[in-house]
Amino acid sequence: MRAAHTPLTRASEVPYETLCQFLYQEARLLDQRKFGQWNDLFAEGGMYWIPLEEDQEDPLNHLSLAYEDSMMRQVRINRLNHDRAWSQKPRSRTSHTVSAIVVEAVCEVSNQLIVGSAFTMAEWRSFGLRTFAGLYTHTLRVTDGRLQIVEKRVDLIDSSEAFEPIEVFI
Amino acid sequence: MDIQQLIREDEVHRDVYVSEDVFALEMDRIFGTAWIYVGHDSQIPDPGDYWTTRIGLESVVMARGKRDEINVFYNRCPHKGARIAADGCGHTKGLFRCPYHAWTFNLDGTLKGVPYLDGYENTRFDMADPRFSLKKVARVASYRGFVFASLSETAADFESFIAGIKSSLDNFCDRAPNGTVSVAGGVFRVVQRSNWKIFFENLNDTGHPIATHESSYRAARQYADEELGGELPFELHIIDGNGAPPKFWSDLDLHAFDFGHSYMTAIFNAPDDPLSQAYFASLSAKVGEDRAKEILGVNRHNTIIYPSCSPHTSFQQWRVIRPLSVDRTLVEIFTFRLDGAPEELLQRTFTYSNVVNSPSSIVMTDDVHVYAECQKGLATQGGDWVSQHRNAGQDLPFSGADGGEIGVGTSELPIRNQFRAWREYMTSDVAETIPLQSSEP
Repeated sequence: MRAAHTPLTRASEVPYETLCQFLYQEARLLDQRKFGQWNDLFAEGGMYWIPLEEDQEDPLNHLSLAYEDSMMRQVRINRLNHDRAWSQKPRSRTSHTVSAIVVEAVCEVSNQLIVGSAFTMAEWRSFGLRTFAGLYTHTLRVTDGRLQIVEKRVDLIDSSEAFEPIEVFI
Repeated sequence: MDIQQLIREDEVHRDVYVSEDVFALEMDRIFGTAWIYVGHDSQIPDPGDYWTTRIGLESVVMARGKRDEINVFYNRCPHKGARIAADGCGHTKGLFRCPYHAWTFNLDGTLKGVPYLDGYENTRFDMADPRFSLKKVARVASYRGFVFASLSETAADFESFIAGIKSSLDNFCDRAPNGTVSVAGGVFRVVQRSNWKIFFENLNDTGHPIATHESSYRAARQYADEELGGELPFELHIIDGNGAPPKFWSDLDLHAFDFGHSYMTAIFNAPDDPLSQAYFASLSAKVGEDRAKEILGVNRHNTIIYPSCSPHTSFQQWRVIRPLSVDRTLVEIFTFRLDGAPEELLQRTFTYSNVVNSPSSIVMTDDVHVYAECQKGLATQGGDWVSQHRNAGQDLPFSGADGGEIGVGTSELPIRNQFRAWREYMTSDVAETIPLQSSEP
């Protein structure tokens, strides 16, 4: 098996363990509030998407809980780090669990993979502890010898439910 | 102590926000009588379509009948009481069927069939007796597709209720080249840990954005300065708007009307880009250029239709406020297509809503937080009265088309106006005394 640090070239040859490591690392960066490093995992033009509906196909012609490019992600990060983000006193603490990681598709032409997984995220805020659960679908691209996120899709199992504000990335 | 003593000209007693007795009385006297927004007729285009929602704490169904009429009835089977329709939108083929014992009802709510009918012979059950049909709400009225209902036969008529604020509903629809709008794109739903009136007070409150929203407008400006040379794309423009200087806010106009309604003038405009130009062309093609300019010249931020909804006419948003309990409120956010406008315009409506109204909005989250902080603070013994003094006594009658009152942009006129309506609703019946939770008179 290739070591995790070996530069990657082809999507079809990315070891499963490397994919798992990537997803775990991504979640860990969020739990450690290393939001800037997390945002750097995205490819140029990469999107973070939380659909509002089950099986929602279109992020543009329908409402989404979030559909954020690097600009909107960075603005969210700037806010989370701002002293006067009133609702972040105390700040959110999270714990992600990512499991059931499955390679769903590989595209040689675009050098991309689609990786599915299940997750739960516990979040503690001023109003207490709450849980998010759902499925991730990561579209990953091999570029410059490493994996980059083209799209992180977060399908919450209760996406059309009423929510209290969602502030951190899921 | 009676309800009159909870309200002064320029302040209210904290019990109006924290007392469960006051909340129960509100459900009876306000939500039990006022015209409450139920839904839009585009949500139920065909016979058999229905939309299940709430009026106060009552579950109700708005259904399209066989003759295309709109019926609103209580969501309760007259047999054992089960709800006959699930929450949200749905369609039924010709009749409603109770999931418990299969009693069936026509789309207008009248009883159609009862299993084991022979067992009812020689009993007091009667198919024709209305009490064995789905109970209709007392009154239903609609204006340009927006459907309202009242649970009271005798409270104010719809025409009087809506008169002052009709111009916002007109502008909401007149902006569509075809003159009609339709719900599109799903519904955002946000739960707030605060009394429903706190949200209403915030809708036309221009004193809060600079303080409450500092983290988000600074975050947007930081990005614009660091990455874009200070330029603000549409998304950042609408976040940044909350950081406008004090004079900007006081220069706005606030208009207030009977029944607690009000609106404030716009705080930001759609960009003058190819999409806006294509939209203007589509509107001009239908109504003429002069009329199109006139329509788009009516530029408003939040309108308040007290006590149930708040349209945003410029970006086709419609918020519905549903009290859940004395300290819990559900806000539902609908977005509308302007029929006949370029489809990309709807995408801008969604973008606006994703940024401002989504449960994950970086703007709204600080609002919801401070509402909850108000609710917590008001429950303490730290003081009994809540101030509404800003510009009290300085608002003026408005001589323009819709009448009403006008105040400077930072006046608390809309809040005082809501409580004038609140007092009327709450004291409209025989004066009833309720125990207060605090001792100070």
